Amino acid sequence: MKKKKQLRMFAVAMLLTSLSAFISGCWDSHDLNKSAITAGIGFDIDPKTGEHLITYQTIIPSKVKSSSAGSSDEQTGGGIAPAVNLDHLKGTTWLEALGNYGTQENRSVFFSHNQLDIMGKEVAKQGVYPVIEHAARITQSRPNNLLLIAQDKASDIMAARDGMDVIPAIGIANEVKQSAEFSKFPAVTRLEFANRLMSKTTAPILPIIGIFEETAPEGKTFNKVRIKGTAVFKWDKMVGELNEQESRGLLWVTNKIKKGFVVIDAPDGSGKASLTITQAKSKIIPQLTDGKITINVVIEEQGDLIEYKGSKDMDVILLKQFEERQDEAIQNEVMAALNKSLALNADVFGFGEAVHRKYKKEWQDISSRWDEIYLDIEVAIQVKTHINETGDISKAIIPQ
Amino acid sequence: MALEAGRISRFQVIMLMVGFIFGTSVIVSPARSAGHDAWIANLIGIMEALLIAGVFCALANQFKDKTLVEINDLVYGRILGKAFSLIFIWYLFHLSALVLTVFSRFFVTEIYLATPKTVILIVFIAVCASTVGRGLEVLARCSMVLISLCILVIINDAFLAIPTMDIKNLLPIVDIPVEKLLWAAHSAATFPFAETVAFTMIFAFMNNHKGRYAPLAMAILIAGLTLTLAVARNSLVLGSMESAFEYPTYLAIQMIDIGDTLSRLEVVVAIFFIFSGFIKVSVLLYGTVLGLAQVFKLRSYRPVIIPVGILMIILALTNVGSSTELYAFVNNEFPIYSLPWVFGIPLLTLIVAKLRKLPQTGGDQL
Repeated sequence: MKKKKQLRMFAVAMLLTSLSAFISGCWDSHDLNKSAITAGIGFDIDPKTGEHLITYQTIIPSKVKSSSAGSSDEQTGGGIAPAVNLDHLKGTTWLEALGNYGTQENRSVFFSHNQLDIMGKEVAKQGVYPVIEHAARITQSRPNNLLLIAQDKASDIMAARDGMDVIPAIGIANEVKQSAEFSKFPAVTRLEFANRLMSKTTAPILPIIGIFEETAPEGKTFNKVRIKGTAVFKWDKMVGELNEQESRGLLWVTNKIKKGFVVIDAPDGSGKASLTITQAKSKIIPQLTDGKITINVVIEEQGDLIEYKGSKDMDVILLKQFEERQDEAIQNEVMAALNKSLALNADVFGFGEAVHRKYKKEWQDISSRWDEIYLDIEVAIQVKTHINETGDISKAIIPQ
Repeated sequence: MALEAGRISRFQVIMLMVGFIFGTSVIVSPARSAGHDAWIANLIGIMEALLIAGVFCALANQFKDKTLVEINDLVYGRILGKAFSLIFIWYLFHLSALVLTVFSRFFVTEIYLATPKTVILIVFIAVCASTVGRGLEVLARCSMVLISLCILVIINDAFLAIPTMDIKNLLPIVDIPVEKLLWAAHSAATFPFAETVAFTMIFAFMNNHKGRYAPLAMAILIAGLTLTLAVARNSLVLGSMESAFEYPTYLAIQMIDIGDTLSRLEVVVAIFFIFSGFIKVSVLLYGTVLGLAQVFKLRSYRPVIIPVGILMIILALTNVGSSTELYAFVNNEFPIYSLPWVFGIPLLTLIVAKLRKLPQTGGDQL
């Protein structure tokens, strides 16, 4: 009897052990040494032939460890030796190009760890919808991938070697996230972009990335990958771009400001002073009266004074003047963004959707004529700022 | 000898029903056609389901220790009763095949891209069949463990997703015509909630016969509110893209990313999908084989488990040609198609039973 029980236990143990072999599913096992993990994908279209070109930046796992531990002596430009492989694939559609991967590499592509998709200028001109659409259909790709527009060709950005990351695409992704964290440019995921595409009125936006030549103090020039603006789309075609100031204005209105600095002219004429943003909130309040739309943008901001070259000691009156200057600076940024958006006739702020949320009955009529309506809506910007702290010192460091 | 010797408690039956309602609805969220108003449609659907459930609960209360097959025999007589029973068994069988279709299609689209559907279905049915073969008590005990975990996971996911939510995605409230909202509510009522009519095969084995409506209403409320939370979470996280994705829950969970460390939770959540699917298919398989055994007066239902399971797999593989076809059926036809079983036939049986003044005391031998 006891022996039978032991035999049974043994059989159960064997069964359980053999079950683990099936957990990955025999058909769907992804071995690390058989898959090419993409970190970033570039999409380009040849303007002359119309040929689709995909650039994959795939991670070389064995190199990731050695190059992060080793020194950067094998570097060629700036930055350290990257642990990635580049593949350029051509085809008449995106999927045909992807299908050609097998003809030049011995591994299969694995998208799950992809960080970003960069689309070239030509793609932005001809329409980004096919790229977004096929990426959304592919199961492995994730909706929180970052999207970017290249200033010129996406393949150049993919090939650029810059920064401190062994995987350049991850470096770029972090750069985008940092720029959003410090309220410079928006970071846009594929989901956000798709949501804006699905809206009848809101214009999609994407950050623009480019390669800039910089000169080091000793005269050596090197290339830097840098975000330089915000691309504005009309449905899926790029129609214009916002510069740094206008991008910030956009972030103020869309409630995307997190950290960052506001630079103002000091009220006592002592040159520039800087304030750091500690808290920011904004609201879009639409008002519909007799078919005329008024949009109230209310921005509330709190900040600390961190740089002031003047000779005055801090007091309440001076602080008040600082606050007024800050109001004005923010207002200017928002106005710049607003003027640009009116010039492009593209509702980058989502004013239309704000109207939709409040006036759902009138929406059917409004949304069909939004392009005309948008140009003569009235926008009232209301900025309330407050300076909380002035850092560790409250007096000017000069002899009295 | 009785076909089922096990008895289950009130709490066990509640958990079993919650798991049953979760079933496929955790994957294909109910009332999706209402867009971002799905949560409202869902709440209305719960109320409608509570009304529908009143009818078959009244029937089950009338005959406290009888399954629906036995009730049919008593109410309609031997021959007509068996016909009604077979029609009801078809509902269980077909529903089970639908659930299996949804599961297999979900897994081949999202996780096991290269694995044939047949393999997934065979493994799935094998587990269900083995559980059903061990009787109702085993299944009920499984549900206590698995489903309480499921509820926790759904609530937990809603909290983890808060950083990616945008409250504006739910506005404006009721953005679709009212008739569309009501249709979505009705489809939610019939798709997960009123399917609990399958429990007319199980109520007879409860260890106290105090009334079946209270535990059923409790289960519909627990499962319904949890699902409403999940549906609202999907809209809050995904915005208008929610309506574009085939499996919004899975995608919404992909968006969870807390400090770059707590991310990629979707596969963990898919495991909980399997738990609830396992409960649903097991209950339906149990109902089908028990019903067949009672109709054909078998001494045990165990010999028919495997054949019925195989037939379910075959129906699941052949009933629809594509996911598009499947969800068209689920959204457009199923809300009408299932009405006779969840409402019409129970109501008819109840009326006939009242007219014939059944059950008569002492007349419960079969």
